[in-house]
Amino acid sequence: MNKLRTDLLIAAPGFLLLMVGFLIPVAGILLLGVRDANGVLTATHLSRFLTDPFYLEIAWRTVKLSLIITALCIVAGFPLAYIMARGSARLRLWLIISITLPLMTSVVVRTFGWMVLLGRGGLIPDTLNMLGLVRRNYSLMQTETAVVLGMTQVLFPFMVLSILGVVMRIDIRLEEASRVMGCTFLKSLRLVVLPLAIPGVIAGSLLVFTLSASYFITPSLLGGARLPVLAGSIYETATRTLDWPFAAAQSIILVVGVLMLLIPYARLSRRANG
Amino acid sequence: MNAVQLDNISKSFGNVQVIKNISLSIAKGEFVSLLGPSGCGKTTLLRMIAGLEGATSGTIHIGGKDSTRLPPELRDIAMVFQSYALLPHLTVLENVMFPLRMRKIGNRAEQRDRAVAALKLVQLDHLTDRRPRALSGGQQQRVAVARAVVSSPQVLLLDEPLSNLDARLRESMQEELILLHRQTGLTTVFVTHDQEEALSLSDRVILLNGGRIEQEGAPKALYSVPRTRFAASFMGSTNLIDAELQPHGDGARALLSDGQVLLLRAKHSAKKRATIMFRQEDAILAPEPDNAALSRGALIASVVTQIFLGARTRYVLDLGGHMIRCLAPAGQFYAVGDKVELKISPDSIHVLED
Amino acid sequence: MVESAPTSVRIAAVIYLVAIVAFVLGPLAVVVGVSFTAGDYITFPPQGLSLRWYEAVLSSSVYMGAAITSLKLAVVVTISATIIGASVATVIHRGRLPGTSVLSALFLAPLVLPTIIFALGLLIFWSAYFGRTSFAALWIGHTVIAVPYVIRTTLAVLSTSDRYLEEAARTMGAGPWKAILHVVVPQAMPGIAAGAFFAFNISFDEAIVSLFLRSPEVITLPIQIYTQLEYSPDPSIAAASALMIGLTVVLIFVIDRVLGIQRVAG
Repeated sequence: MNKLRTDLLIAAPGFLLLMVGFLIPVAGILLLGVRDANGVLTATHLSRFLTDPFYLEIAWRTVKLSLIITALCIVAGFPLAYIMARGSARLRLWLIISITLPLMTSVVVRTFGWMVLLGRGGLIPDTLNMLGLVRRNYSLMQTETAVVLGMTQVLFPFMVLSILGVVMRIDIRLEEASRVMGCTFLKSLRLVVLPLAIPGVIAGSLLVFTLSASYFITPSLLGGARLPVLAGSIYETATRTLDWPFAAAQSIILVVGVLMLLIPYARLSRRANG
Repeated sequence: MNAVQLDNISKSFGNVQVIKNISLSIAKGEFVSLLGPSGCGKTTLLRMIAGLEGATSGTIHIGGKDSTRLPPELRDIAMVFQSYALLPHLTVLENVMFPLRMRKIGNRAEQRDRAVAALKLVQLDHLTDRRPRALSGGQQQRVAVARAVVSSPQVLLLDEPLSNLDARLRESMQEELILLHRQTGLTTVFVTHDQEEALSLSDRVILLNGGRIEQEGAPKALYSVPRTRFAASFMGSTNLIDAELQPHGDGARALLSDGQVLLLRAKHSAKKRATIMFRQEDAILAPEPDNAALSRGALIASVVTQIFLGARTRYVLDLGGHMIRCLAPAGQFYAVGDKVELKISPDSIHVLED
Repeated sequence: MVESAPTSVRIAAVIYLVAIVAFVLGPLAVVVGVSFTAGDYITFPPQGLSLRWYEAVLSSSVYMGAAITSLKLAVVVTISATIIGASVATVIHRGRLPGTSVLSALFLAPLVLPTIIFALGLLIFWSAYFGRTSFAALWIGHTVIAVPYVIRTTLAVLSTSDRYLEEAARTMGAGPWKAILHVVVPQAMPGIAAGAFFAFNISFDEAIVSLFLRSPEVITLPIQIYTQLEYSPDPSIAAASALMIGLTVVLIFVIDRVLGIQRVAG
């Protein structure tokens, strides 16, 4: 009993912060989005979003971009995670530092770098122009490509780290055994490492998808007003039009939408785990 | 044609040479053990035959084919790993079919039949649909064996496959391995640090030390006539005594520091200091002799301590200042401090080279 | 295993590694490059070399004001997040409270729940009960985000430490609080310290909560950069950004020294 009281006392400031700073505000949002001015349950705000083609397009763009970004992260992330896991400790350390640096840099700074690279007269459009692929003064800004590139750079480390955690635990003897049994190197990657790394790929995908669906600074700076995404729309609604119930409703749609996509996926992960 | 032929194989990791110019041929159907303490290079040598490590110099032939530069998948081999390395995402049957699938041996139905047959060989054909994780250690080990023999490879490589099993299971698996070898006739290379295992399983034992072959030969020969101090002490419990050798009749005699004498069959023409050895089971204990026996030149030792082992008792004796061990039947009993007579046949005493 | 990867695969791997590192670090390198330009516009490669934009940033009351706000905020957030995170981690590690697993899931929830939702919630909650957003609102917001990181780094260390040390201390006459102070805290120190640096970095770089809760009196450095980017970009942004990147690099190496970046990332 005494021990429990000590533990409760130690955790008390944490509980207070969690209540005031997190649980109450989040619960508040969930309530605000489904109630009218008199506190009566209503679906007005939700249906306003779900019936307006403008907002549906925003939702669709959010899902589409997040899917593309997640897929890119898997494709680019799996080989890196494998190389990190099987390379020397030194190589692994430097690669981890390389991918955590953008992760720990402010999102505005990272995005600014992409703006310089992708904008008119930037390195990438100029190179493409030199190759004769695009006209002069071409800009990649305000395109979905720009959003995808910028977001992939930021979110890719999450994918790599969660795959890395799983691949590090795969016994290297399994790969050796498969080689002895007649697999080429690439076949052993496909038939042994990849199936066993699936839980990491799934965990990484969940993380990347959720984060990319809820980022708004990178999409709004690189995609601009012409390419609004759901999170950006929440921000605009909350700070420009100050329509908080509608912003709350959009938040609910974001959370529910992400959950609806994630729950079947998470179930898949449980099956993959056996 | 030898199943495996190693010529002047060396291997270095950085500046450390772990295999030093080893040459070795293994005949078709032979069961060979690579025996030695950890770090002697036995596992590295096995992994080089498998193609999991490259040779720094020298050549490796498998089934008469130069395989030195071949990756593992192009060598006709199979291997059982210490950790078994069963693929956790495949069932038992799929694991055993895996080498056939990869090597494209037969069609799907034939692969299945062969895999089931291999599982029958290890008495596991009733567990085909289980995942490896749902099996006991001994069962996993059998699956690994079935998976290795299923493709009838030129060489079967076993990397301490029994070391993760408990003592009783290990014994019965040893018997099964012998049986399996007799049934399949596969050329087998077995790596172990357990001398008993090596002696009981193999046709030939290769004793490795520091990346070199220390001694090789049939188990019996290696056990009873070790050539070096290392071989003698590694192959079971041994008494080593530094003594002065003198020619004596047909053989020689060894002079202990307290003046007592041991007779040897081995011939030694010149006086020299050397290490002699005899096995603890080759020394027979008798009660303290009377004067008549003493005048015959009986060896006298005193009991330092005794350890009860069940069927026998191990005595540590002081023989002229040398601590030696010997085994006595449980019926005999001597107390600490007792004087005993030690009878050792001259045939059981050997002189070591170093 | 690497030894038996064919040469063609290894060459492909090297090319791939170079491309990935360029992709991940390129944008940051560009920012640093731009910051040294002597020209008036944001161009890469930079036109000439000069430190004029650093001078501009360091002598700008707007940038310096934002930097001071960010620093103050990061310092108080570090203190509160470290104390709260370390104590919660200790309690979770002991696992004596009923429902510990639910508890740890709740405390780590801010890592998973989209920040934008909780930022909006905090904005609405704050406005409803306290009126205009203030420094204190940001403090709470950043602390909520930073606490899970401190919990994770502290737990990473505690999980590898000897569970019985605390009990041993009790048998040697230390009371429950003394045992924590003299045994648990020193053991967990590398984790707590790494968590503290994390908390500092998160607060200093955070933009989402700061953007929602900003008011004319509390403009942090990332928000200042964001505003400049939207309305009047010039190379001073690059100089300010480069300074922030520099700070992050220092923090990463410090964290690696204190705890090992691999343990934090893994």
